[in-house]
Amino acid sequence: MFNRDTWLEIANTVLSNPMRTFLTGLSIALGVFILVVMQGLGFGLQNGVQNQFSDDAVNSIWVDAGRTQLAYRGNMPNRQVKMRNSDVDAMFQQMDTVHAYSRRVRIWGVVMAHEDQQSNFPLRGVDPDHLMLENTTLTDGRYISSRDVAEETKVAVLGATVVEDLFEGVDPIGTYLLIGGVQFRVVGTFDDPASRWENKMAYLPFTTAQNIFRSSDKVDQIILGTGDMPVADTRSLSDALLSWFKDRKVVHPDDARGVRIENNNEEYERFQNIFLGIELFIWGLGLLTLLAGAVGVANILAIAVKERTKEIGVRKALGASSISVLGLVVQESLALMIVSGSAGLITGVGLLEVVSPMIDHEYFKNPQVDFRIALVALGILAVVGVVSGIGPALRAVSIKPVEALRDE
Amino acid sequence: MEWYLRGVIKLNNIGKSYVTGSQKLEVLKGLSCNIKKGEMVAIMGSSGSGKSTLLNILGLLDSFDSGDYLLSGESMSGLNERAAAKYRSKLLGFVFQSFNLIGFKTALENVALPLYYQSIPRKKRNVIAMDYLKKVGLEDWASHLPNQMSGGQKQRVAIARALVAQPKVILADEPTGALDSVTSSDVMTLLREINADGITMIIVTHEHDIAALCDRTIHLVDGLIDLS
Repeated sequence: MFNRDTWLEIANTVLSNPMRTFLTGLSIALGVFILVVMQGLGFGLQNGVQNQFSDDAVNSIWVDAGRTQLAYRGNMPNRQVKMRNSDVDAMFQQMDTVHAYSRRVRIWGVVMAHEDQQSNFPLRGVDPDHLMLENTTLTDGRYISSRDVAEETKVAVLGATVVEDLFEGVDPIGTYLLIGGVQFRVVGTFDDPASRWENKMAYLPFTTAQNIFRSSDKVDQIILGTGDMPVADTRSLSDALLSWFKDRKVVHPDDARGVRIENNNEEYERFQNIFLGIELFIWGLGLLTLLAGAVGVANILAIAVKERTKEIGVRKALGASSISVLGLVVQESLALMIVSGSAGLITGVGLLEVVSPMIDHEYFKNPQVDFRIALVALGILAVVGVVSGIGPALRAVSIKPVEALRDE
Repeated sequence: MEWYLRGVIKLNNIGKSYVTGSQKLEVLKGLSCNIKKGEMVAIMGSSGSGKSTLLNILGLLDSFDSGDYLLSGESMSGLNERAAAKYRSKLLGFVFQSFNLIGFKTALENVALPLYYQSIPRKKRNVIAMDYLKKVGLEDWASHLPNQMSGGQKQRVAIARALVAQPKVILADEPTGALDSVTSSDVMTLLREINADGITMIIVTHEHDIAALCDRTIHLVDGLIDLS
């Protein structure tokens, strides 16, 4: 059925009315074009937001202390809640399993000096899992180890900006650095592409940083990794932790500031749902546009069949079987769909390719179309092409040569 | 019985009626006739006499209600669409009053079209089609479109197209109806030549001059053959 002759025949008939063919093709091409471009834009938005998330591990829970809002059990409001080492230890004893964790202390503006270069940078005391929880990319050397934390070694892992400012091309690994007047050995460097802020930091072992720069047992923040726990479980975990912490630190159960727990799992899930919605919306819109195009094709084919009544009658008189007449119309529809659909597909993908490098926004990155989506679109086109051809084709088949050839 | 055996077309008591709304119009009322191989027969009759219906039935373009139709020895009763298409393509050639060439196909492509429906490869069918264009004297017009040709030329292309599949019978519906008298006689001369090669020719016409050029004339009156 799909030999060269058939296609020549189709090319002949399609080209015999160029305007009609062009308009039909245009509506289909436009439908596919819109579908592709919208897919690309949706994908770009998703990429951008996902990139925002790549700053921190998605499967993590963040515990922060703040000032209370409400008076509770003899405490005045506006009291600063302080998390201490003993709180963290007690928390771990409460939990069945801890997949990963890192305590954090933050110290702002510490003078760091290497040879004659010096500058102010913030620093952080962290545990080994911080590497994974903060989504840090180690560029050289090693990260803070559990031995560093246990033995309070004076080692530092430096962010890309710190290295750039203080070392001027010298390999920092193994060299010594004065941090707040104390000598630290540089054991590693990192780059956090999703956060320029993080790159201005030096990471020290949690215990070292707490003892030297904090001189109290206060902990600023705790990050818990949830591993591959289902989102529902992480939700009940963070709820349980919150009430446990509030009770321990004498914070009113309705207080929103005293103890805060942020569950990245939930945030991520919320965004996933939004994207699912956007995706469905885009598909819905795209398919409706295609449908409009298909109706156009069916319409035009119906007119074409009516115009060609006589020709089809002649073909039948000359020995054309019903199948061949059916095939002629359906294949014409299919060919029209595929050719103009591909044109729309190529222009759409081309536009995205051209535009993509020019766009670099925080929430919008890499608008591209999945190859599979392109294939699915073509598949849908093929089905739509056959379906919209069937009606007119059946009409063509039902044409009786007698009526077609009657001279009027 | 010799005539019966040699008959390429035998109609036995053919009946055909059309139903329009509540009315039933009986067009053929038990028509019987016999056309021998190699005969050139004219069918005449006033409008409404059933001559077009008869031609459609002979051409397997329409079904009949009763009776029997033997074409080249085979019964054509109760054919389905596909079988009818096959017999048409194998045994019959058509020539129409308004030529019915396909407008966007060249003369050669028009002539080759019946061979396309017999699945003959493109090259081969173009060679055969060219032979038949030569036969009607239009080899120089092979690549022209129908609207670049005169009426007589168009009808000769149509005749070449009817001949190309080497049919046993050619059915012509008012083949000269749209032509002037000079071209008409040219076309009739051509049809006679083809007939001389042994192809049975059935011509529906209302012109006595044309009918006079045939071997015999069948007169239709009210759906029956007028034997008077």
